[in-house]
Order: sequence, then structure tokens, then C-alpha cells
Amino acid sequence: MAITDLIPWNRGKRQIQVQREERDPFLAFQHDLNRLFDDFWGGSWLTPYGASEREWSKFSPQIDVVETDTEVKVQTELPGLEEKDFEVSVSQDTLTIRGEKKQEKEEKGRNYYRAERSYGWFQREISLPRNVDTDQVSAEFSKGVLTISLPKVAAQEDRKKVVVKAK
Amino acid sequence: MAEEKKDLQLQETEKQEVQESGAERTRARPAFIPRSDIYELDNEIVVVADMPGVDADSVEITLERNTLTINGYVKPTELAGYTPAYAEYREGDYQRSFSLSNEIDQSKIEANMKDGVLYLHLPKVGPTTRKIAVKTG
Repeated sequence: MAITDLIPWNRGKRQIQVQREERDPFLAFQHDLNRLFDDFWGGSWLTPYGASEREWSKFSPQIDVVETDTEVKVQTELPGLEEKDFEVSVSQDTLTIRGEKKQEKEEKGRNYYRAERSYGWFQREISLPRNVDTDQVSAEFSKGVLTISLPKVAAQEDRKKVVVKAK
Repeated sequence: MAEEKKDLQLQETEKQEVQESGAERTRARPAFIPRSDIYELDNEIVVVADMPGVDADSVEITLERNTLTINGYVKPTELAGYTPAYAEYREGDYQRSFSLSNEIDQSKIEANMKDGVLYLHLPKVGPTTRKIAVKTG
């Protein structure tokens, strides 16, 4: 079993309806774990230099993935970011969104009543199905929502049928 | 400025759904409490609210008596024919109310929206203290 098989790309696909987190505590737990791993491998502490500027971050954008037979669409909420604050890259089987939500310059004399918005460096990785055409990926950013469209190529059968001859 | 009475335990990353509000919602979609920073400067109070998916035209700010309500409507994404494969968040509207104290100059409230973030400037009323002379009679 490849490690990528553990990534829940196929979770809840087809007939089974995707369970939303609040209805299914186990799925919520799974998501938490996924995020934990994302944070761990994408975490700044693995890079010895630059760790100081990439603070351990609380900001981790949430991701929705939907698909049709011809396209995979990834949506994520990045409020307060601009296009230059993040980058999207795609490899054979992974889509990576990384960037930094910068804290506005702390002015003196600000007396905070509430600070719920989080900032910091983030990286999310999404494993892609094999039939995505990584050359044709397009991304659009509007109103704090990033939408990435990944077209699928015509399904190529990975396995070929072997004709068994009877003797 | 008095904040919401209810002590909100916001989780770090998940959206908090509006559980109870004064009015029943007439829309079938869920409403979330936008995560907000509130800070005070010398001359104003600033509310910064994360409302991804909301543009300047679909944010509605109402002021009734001393209650300031923010409503942000998200235009639903066309997803007909798509099958969800992995879902972490839900799309929905945003709603949050704040009660304002008298020190806010309610006629001069300003709001602007940028990249899914609402900036609300609530200017304070200038010093209006009057000294009243007390006569001895």
C-alpha cells in the first residue's frame, strides 16, 4: 500500500455522501489529524533557517474539494490575503497551497478587545487523483476565496486486461 | 463599547455557526459568526471581520438603536453536477451583532471591504464635556 492511499481522497466518494464535520465526530477527528500532519510536514521547524520569520502559525485555511467526471475543483478561504501572499503549485499527484497571512502592522496605542483572526505561515497539501491534467490547472482568487480548477484527462486504464488462453 | 454578552468560545480554525440570534433566519443557508478583531484607537474603534466570499455589494450593515448588525451574504458557488470529495468548511452567510455605547458617533460609521475582510470604523464622539457652573444661592 502506498502512503498516498492513506490520504482520504476517495473518502466518501460516489454513492456515500460526504459527511460534514459537525455531524460526524470521527470525520472531524480525521480532518484534525490530516491537518496535524499537514502542519507537521509543512511546519517551519523542519527548516532550520528561516524558522524565525515563519512563525508557528495558527492560520490554516480550510479546503473543500468537489469534482465531476471532467474536473476537480478545490476551494479555500483566504480572507485578507492578496495574490502575492500565497502560491499554488502542482506536482504529479499533489496540489500545494502555501503562503502567509501577514498581520497588519501593529500600531501603538491599539487596545484590543478581541483578537480572533489568526495569522501566520501556512501550507496545505491535497493529494490529487491520477487522471488530473497538471498542465491545465487554473486558479482564480476573488473576495478572499481561492478556486483552483484541475481538469481531468480522459481516463487511462492503468491496468490492462490479459487474455487467458485455455489450453 | 460593550461587546457581545455571550462569551464565544471560538475554535481556532473552524467556522462558528450562529446558534441563536434575535431573529429567525429566513434563508435556508447556515450563517457563521465572522472571526473579528476589535481594537480601540484614540479616536475610533475598529472592527475587522473575516468574511471570505462576501463582496462590498453584498454586505449589509444596519444600526438599530445601539445594535450594529453585520450581515454578509455569500453568492453560492455554482456546483450543480459536482460531487463533493473532501469537505472541511461550509459555505454560508455571515452574521454578527455588536452593541455600541454612546461614545460612538453613529452618523460617521464607515465600512470598507477588501479581499473578503470587512473593516468597520466607528469614530468616537469628540469631547463634549460641558462644565456646569454651580451657583450658590
